Amino acid sequence: MFLIYCPYCKATREEEEFHNAGEAFIARPADPEAASDEEWGDYLFMRKNPKGWHWEQWQHAAGCGRVFAVKRHTLSYRIAGSWTLAAGKALFLQEGGV
Amino acid sequence: MSDALFQPYARSPLDPLDLAGQAVRPSPENGAWANEVRLLAYLTLRGDSADPAYARAVRTVCGLSLPDAGRYVSGVAGVLLWRSPNECLLLTSRRQAASLRVALVEAFAGLLAEVVDQSGGLTTVYLAGAEQVTVLRHMGGYDFGSLEPGQAIATVFGKTAAVVMRADAHGVHLIVRRSFAAYLWALLARSARPYAFTVGRLPAAGTDPVLCLQEGATVLDRQDRVAV
Repeated sequence: MFLIYCPYCKATREEEEFHNAGEAFIARPADPEAASDEEWGDYLFMRKNPKGWHWEQWQHAAGCGRVFAVKRHTLSYRIAGSWTLAAGKALFLQEGGV
Repeated sequence: MSDALFQPYARSPLDPLDLAGQAVRPSPENGAWANEVRLLAYLTLRGDSADPAYARAVRTVCGLSLPDAGRYVSGVAGVLLWRSPNECLLLTSRRQAASLRVALVEAFAGLLAEVVDQSGGLTTVYLAGAEQVTVLRHMGGYDFGSLEPGQAIATVFGKTAAVVMRADAHGVHLIVRRSFAAYLWALLARSARPYAFTVGRLPAAGTDPVLCLQEGATVLDRQDRVAV
């Protein structure tokens, strides 16, 4: 079981209250009409699935209902922290995430 | 059906269980007892809590400032619970609900805010007794022992989610969706069985801001029909 901190409720709660909402910060092609099939396919279907630190979205489904960003290690299951999507994105870009 | 036969009346979600008929005065041997707080009114207020105009509108109409995360505030208008950064739930009496809703709609004019009457969709269960926290621990994973008066949090109970609100040292309120009310009641009754569970008569409101709201409403037993 994870204990996840919700940045909106400002409380650490059990995983049971949350839903995983997949990889975070997937950039949508700026001009979808001009995107190639490969680019659009990557955007829709291809995910990183790393062994190591991974930026994820979690929804506090049973609590406030909000979606936020969590940085989690997929091997050790350690959680580095939780941020609102805006704050998390800034950190993600700072780390050189794409 | 002719109009003469059609007499609508408000029916609370747990009325089919006949809790009013089973209710007894709880004794100290009853480690846990519960009952439904029938027919309260529930208004959902949506708006950005960081917007001062929205906060001012709520304060003008309800006389309550917006609650902090995980907390509630109470006053004459009722109990205002924090649900998320842009949503609050106002528990109030059916008597006040219609006028409050109209006043809020007017106050929200020009704001990105709305009020929705969810009175038909929610109900409240009052749980009390010496073993109330133990019973909650059987039902869900939250650290219920840490819940203090003034706090209201939403968490998971088996297959459903409910808001747990600690009114005072005597008891907690569980606010649950109508469709899950029977499930939550069954889960509660089963979890509390080892602690001599009983359906209890609701006490005088005292310091409890939710029980205050149904004052007058509880004297109606289930035969009395509340006109809608």
